Amino acid sequence: MCDFRGRLIAWLDHELSQDEAAAVKRHVEGCRECRSRLQAYEHVSRTFDAYCDAAMAAKTSRRVPRWVPALAGAVVTVTVLLLAFPSARVEPPRPVHAPTAAAIAARVLEPAPAPRKKIHRQHGVAPVQNQAVNWLPAEPAVQIAIPAEAMFPPGAVPEGINFIAELSIGPDGSAERVRLRP
Amino acid sequence: MSDDSIPLALPLLRFAAGSSEVTTLYRELRKPLLRYLICLGLSSDEAQDVVQDAFLSLQRHLAPGGKQENIRGWLFRVAHNEARNRQNSYHRRFGEPLDAETDSLVEQATPEHAVLEKEKFRQLALAIGLLTESERACLLLRAGGLRYREIGEVLGIATSTVGDTVERAIKKLAEKCNV
Repeated sequence: MCDFRGRLIAWLDHELSQDEAAAVKRHVEGCRECRSRLQAYEHVSRTFDAYCDAAMAAKTSRRVPRWVPALAGAVVTVTVLLLAFPSARVEPPRPVHAPTAAAIAARVLEPAPAPRKKIHRQHGVAPVQNQAVNWLPAEPAVQIAIPAEAMFPPGAVPEGINFIAELSIGPDGSAERVRLRP
Repeated sequence: MSDDSIPLALPLLRFAAGSSEVTTLYRELRKPLLRYLICLGLSSDEAQDVVQDAFLSLQRHLAPGGKQENIRGWLFRVAHNEARNRQNSYHRRFGEPLDAETDSLVEQATPEHAVLEKEKFRQLALAIGLLTESERACLLLRAGGLRYREIGEVLGIATSTVGDTVERAIKKLAEKCNV
């Protein structure tokens, strides 16, 4: 058994005196067995250091949970889809308002669409429907033609005078705007 | 075996009680201390607490003109004693908690290298588990860069005993790891 075998690790760690270190160095240069052992000890030391580093890295690193990238990807995908297809957005349903008595009355007075009865005016004015073409609003409107004699006492409205009442009805059935036009 | 130790690369002779020197020491020794404590079995949070406490103790030690020799060994000794006080953590064996966690290291390598590294660490973990507590502590302090004399001061054993213990531990690991 080699006499220097017990001092190889101390020599590796620079723990020997100068004289001892020089003696071990001379021996190692000529002893294949000691060189082989030295290589093994160095390898174990390096592996041990790497193991300690791995332990520290494993315990001190803040790992990102695996579900975080998946969630982030899903959020990005949904965002891109919404931007690419804005019409695909689901809009909440509009609130439904119960019609008021005025709205119900307006619907009751609405004439049947067909066959439409021709109103014979005693005042000899042009039919309301012909003039209404010029002021039809953009939104759907309900046209109600009421003879003057049905609203005013006889003689209150001079013959030949005609006017149109524009009445806007809100969602709740109340009258929002009333305008009289000749 | 010589009893003299290589002087630290720290300006210990000029070391004063000022906080700047402690900060310099903190930057230099924080990582080796953390590694030592984590490898002893402490969690990352526990290890960081112990390191901070150790440096606070150092400042209190130096403020009234405490001994300025071998500050590195002094810090490791304080940290080692604090770790021993945390009995629950200390009794976790060194090799046990690392077996699964070394995956984080091999994830960065190629698949072939990862397999080899993992197998190497697995064998080493088994071998470390067979070491005595003193052998593990000596190897950990040696891996932290401490000289045999400093290791002896930390563990309260003779320098010659440290040499024998380190040699015995390295030979055990080399034999078990087939290198």
